[in-house]
Amino acid sequence: MTAAIFNLNHPAHTVHWHFFSMSVANVVVIVVMLVVFAVAILAPFPGHGGGER
Amino acid sequence: MSSVSRKSWTARARERAVGALPPEKLLPDSQPSYMSSWIYVFGVLTLTSLIVIIASGSILALKGPGWWHLTGIGHFFNSIHMWAVELFFFFMVIHLWGKYWMAAWRGGRARVWITGAVTFLVAVPCALSGYVSQQNFDSQWISTQAKDAMNAAGIGAFWNLMNFGQMYSYHVFLLPLAVVALVIAHVLLVRRHGIVPPFQLSGAGAGAKPTSAARRAPDSGSEGTS
Repeated sequence: MTAAIFNLNHPAHTVHWHFFSMSVANVVVIVVMLVVFAVAILAPFPGHGGGER
Repeated sequence: MSSVSRKSWTARARERAVGALPPEKLLPDSQPSYMSSWIYVFGVLTLTSLIVIIASGSILALKGPGWWHLTGIGHFFNSIHMWAVELFFFFMVIHLWGKYWMAAWRGGRARVWITGAVTFLVAVPCALSGYVSQQNFDSQWISTQAKDAMNAAGIGAFWNLMNFGQMYSYHVFLLPLAVVALVIAHVLLVRRHGIVPPFQLSGAGAGAKPTSAARRAPDSGSEGTS
């Protein structure tokens, strides 16, 4: 069995801010989703010359 | 033999199905130009993830827990199954965000939106029941912790996390069946009503800067597929 890339032998790190409490892993995933969402809207779609296909 | 005056139920069903979804709508040759945006890709990415989930889950069900816990290839398919679920929700939530901001229920597409939203709601317990179906100490820990939340919500008698047989049946049969049925209905409704067009750019004001998707939409008010 191969070792994990990150050291997982500890309790999860969490982000605390007032009532907000979430694991760092979940925060990272949500931030990545927001970034992918923004890129999906703004990035040009390849191979599209305009007009109806 | 006299001719049959009334059509059979199979003929009526066929005519109704073809009328609602003719072949050129079911399998169209082209799509509107405004579909040429990355945000429209996330629906099919979600669908692709679901296919990988069903395929890898079927292999896991065939081989059993000894295989997925104790062999290298079993670990591999176990990981494929888990990461396909992660990607399924990742893509589905971005798809949901995109459709929400497009107001994708416009133009008589309420049922398209509703079937998508219900699919998301049904997929959540479908995935969570997988955590308690692993058959290891992790699943035992999760089930004994999460049962208190179910009991506090008053549904512990119907959704008993300590009942492995019930959880496994929900995870590998009942909830996947519901998800797949809802996804089929969702896709067929998308085919029937077409992709939702962007908002009218003319109402956005002179200073408004359209997105890359909207810039390529000369017929932004059109409905359905072209």
